[in-house]
Amino acid sequence: MRTLAKMARTPLGATALTLLTLVVVTAVVAPWLWGEQADVNDTGDILAGPSAEHWVGTDNLGRDLLLRTLVATRLSVVLAVSATLVAVVTGLILGVAPLLLGRTVGRAVTWFTGIAVAFPGLLLALFFAAIFGSSATAAVFAIGLAGAPSFARLCQNLIAGIEARDFIAAARVGGVGRLRVLFRHVLPNIGEPLIVNATIGAGGSLLAFAGLSFIGLGVQPPEYDWGRLMMDGLRGIYSNPLAALAPGLAVVIAGLAFNLTGESAARSLGISDDAMLVSAIRPRRRRLQNRRAAAKTPAVTSRDAVLEVVDLRVEIPSTAGDVHAVRGVSFSVAQGEIVGIVGESGSGKSMTALAAARLLDDTARVQARALRFLGADLLGDGGAGMRRMLGTSMAMVFQDPMSSFNPTMRMGGQLAEVAAEHAGMRRREAMARAVDRLAAVRITAPERRARQYPYEFSGGMRQRAMIGMGLMLSPRLIIADEPTTALDVTVQAQVLDLLRAIREEDGASILFISHDISVVAELCDRVLVMRSGEIVEELDAADLSSARHPYTRALLAAVPHMGTDLDRPLATLATISDAEPDVGADAREVRSR
Amino acid sequence: MSELRFEEVSVRYGLRRAAVTAVDRVSLSVPEGGVTGVVGESGSGKSTLGRAAVGLVPLHGGRILLDGAPIPRRGPRPLQMVFQDPYSSLDPRMSVGASIAEMMPAGMTRRESAREAARLLELVHLDPAQTGARPARFSGGQRQRIAIARALAGRPKVLIADEITSALDVLIQGAILNLLRELQAELGFSMLFISHNLAVVRYVASQIVVMHDGKVIEQGATAAVLEQPQADYTRELLAAIPRPIHYIPDADRV
Repeated sequence: MRTLAKMARTPLGATALTLLTLVVVTAVVAPWLWGEQADVNDTGDILAGPSAEHWVGTDNLGRDLLLRTLVATRLSVVLAVSATLVAVVTGLILGVAPLLLGRTVGRAVTWFTGIAVAFPGLLLALFFAAIFGSSATAAVFAIGLAGAPSFARLCQNLIAGIEARDFIAAARVGGVGRLRVLFRHVLPNIGEPLIVNATIGAGGSLLAFAGLSFIGLGVQPPEYDWGRLMMDGLRGIYSNPLAALAPGLAVVIAGLAFNLTGESAARSLGISDDAMLVSAIRPRRRRLQNRRAAAKTPAVTSRDAVLEVVDLRVEIPSTAGDVHAVRGVSFSVAQGEIVGIVGESGSGKSMTALAAARLLDDTARVQARALRFLGADLLGDGGAGMRRMLGTSMAMVFQDPMSSFNPTMRMGGQLAEVAAEHAGMRRREAMARAVDRLAAVRITAPERRARQYPYEFSGGMRQRAMIGMGLMLSPRLIIADEPTTALDVTVQAQVLDLLRAIREEDGASILFISHDISVVAELCDRVLVMRSGEIVEELDAADLSSARHPYTRALLAAVPHMGTDLDRPLATLATISDAEPDVGADAREVRSR
Repeated sequence: MSELRFEEVSVRYGLRRAAVTAVDRVSLSVPEGGVTGVVGESGSGKSTLGRAAVGLVPLHGGRILLDGAPIPRRGPRPLQMVFQDPYSSLDPRMSVGASIAEMMPAGMTRRESAREAARLLELVHLDPAQTGARPARFSGGQRQRIAIARALAGRPKVLIADEITSALDVLIQGAILNLLRELQAELGFSMLFISHNLAVVRYVASQIVVMHDGKVIEQGATAAVLEQPQADYTRELLAAIPRPIHYIPDADRV
């Protein structure tokens, strides 16, 4: 119900729901109102064109075609929905088979589904129609069975996704049987996407049914659906084109109604923050704001700062209202300095870094009084010149190096691409540089490694290769967003050593983001502590032991280390008085104890 | 309450030639009412060991014994597990009360199980009135508390905790570790505590097992292993830990 309300609020959803209501109401009402009238023969007025009495004309028995088109709505829709039901039920049975019947049988079913999916649907429908004979019921099964493989594949994929979740494992650990797992945990979780896809599928079945009836395999006289009407109308297409076009138009409207309803339901269900509908308006607004903000920029700032941020604000529009992710953050990173930003998830630390690198997408609203990199203003419209400068002088390292690399390209090629793209290096030159950089990030046998694919690298090696990629063009600033979070301690230590060495050798500045204050303390010169989008404390890493802000202290005390007193509970946010919404109820609840 | 013993346990993934040995003849024990910690990097086989204990992965060799007898795979399960990712371990379509009730022993009336679910939520310091709420209403740390409550609903003799704090923020990690220690002391279940973080394991476990490449490298009492590591690999792990920061409390802080 909530989904429907949400749908009705978008233009697409409102249109879709209106169309669908129209189609359903017609299907219910039309046969009662005009059912008999549509069967009245008027031999004096056969095959007539449009007139005031018959808006769309009459057929070869003088029956009114507009009424017949309206009355045909019920049969057409009922048949299409029945065919979809057959498809969904068959698909569901095939789809849950791997879950219920175990690995061997399941694999056979999946294999069979894979082959069936490869056949074109209409071909299958024709094949089944030829077997079942020509009647409406036969056509329902023909179209339904033809659509079943794609639903089976959908179910198998959805179920495989759910099965991998830990709550299924938890149920199994607790001894819950397969059937119970299916009905209690699996089906409720795949219901929504399945219904949405069935709605879209109904539009397809409608079209397929019209097709079958049109070639005479579907509905047989004296019954009629839109396909049948089109077939009859086609004979007189030159004398009265409307006779064929009116039922055709009805097919289009009903098909659209189903399709759009499904599409917009999918949008309001799964991807509620989908930016597609709002992005058309946002970018212009963002640029205007930037320009306005840029006008207020103070003229001169400190010279040796590599990155300078003054009063940075980031707002993310979402369906639940704007989220103020960053609220007026100011800091600078000096030449050769390593600055750490530490905070919990949701504190805005990553947003700050992404905004500074101009990597936030257009839906985010970024404002700042100043945002300078190497003295250049980053708030402008971002022409090719600025992108080029960012591409050559700023490097990003992310948490998950696997998703940052293209899995189908060799490592060396991916690194070389950076130099070829941004510095215009020739291929051979760029490859030599790539191998050199892999060696620089302590990857052994770099020539051989450069020819390997990302999956052949371990997690730590991928992270080092990612840093190597950043070093292709001797950047002045490296922004590293949780680069060691996914790594083991030993590998983490190697990556931290590497970052330190890069600073020593190349003089690059580093902005290092992490939720782990002990890692930040280990690597950084200066630490910014962020909470709820604001910097609550800024201090030298050496001074962390005398941090003043209770939040910083809580961060320090909460991490168990090798000297933690085993007889006392770990410190939590106990000393903080102001409850922030972004910190989550855990912190508050802990305080109350 | 019970002792869990792994005897020469091996687990292999894949078929014949392509098989990978994830756990290689591991023997260890979780003493009655005690906590054994397993540390190792990703790929060391420590999580596979936990999943083998609860029957989520089949054994290739060896056996896992509870008080000297094989673990029953029918009826009430004496082993329960808490998973790493609290966003994946609760069914989003089920009220947390129903999720907890699912693990309870059979034969309880609806009213009994509702009362028990509320009691368990209270036990993990959540509002007992929230049994009807869906997981989406709770934060990551609260979800992990619910997952602990669900595991306790099965009245386990042994609890397997698999990286239960590594998806959480440090502040929340502290609260969850406190809770777990408190519950363990109160209820007396034995626990196999799996983590990549040596400091966390040190805080929770009295026995420690260091794993690498599917094999046990070193095991013993936690204090002994950490103070006088015998294996090179353990020393390497210890050296990689960032140094602790002892903050000096200010005078204005009581």
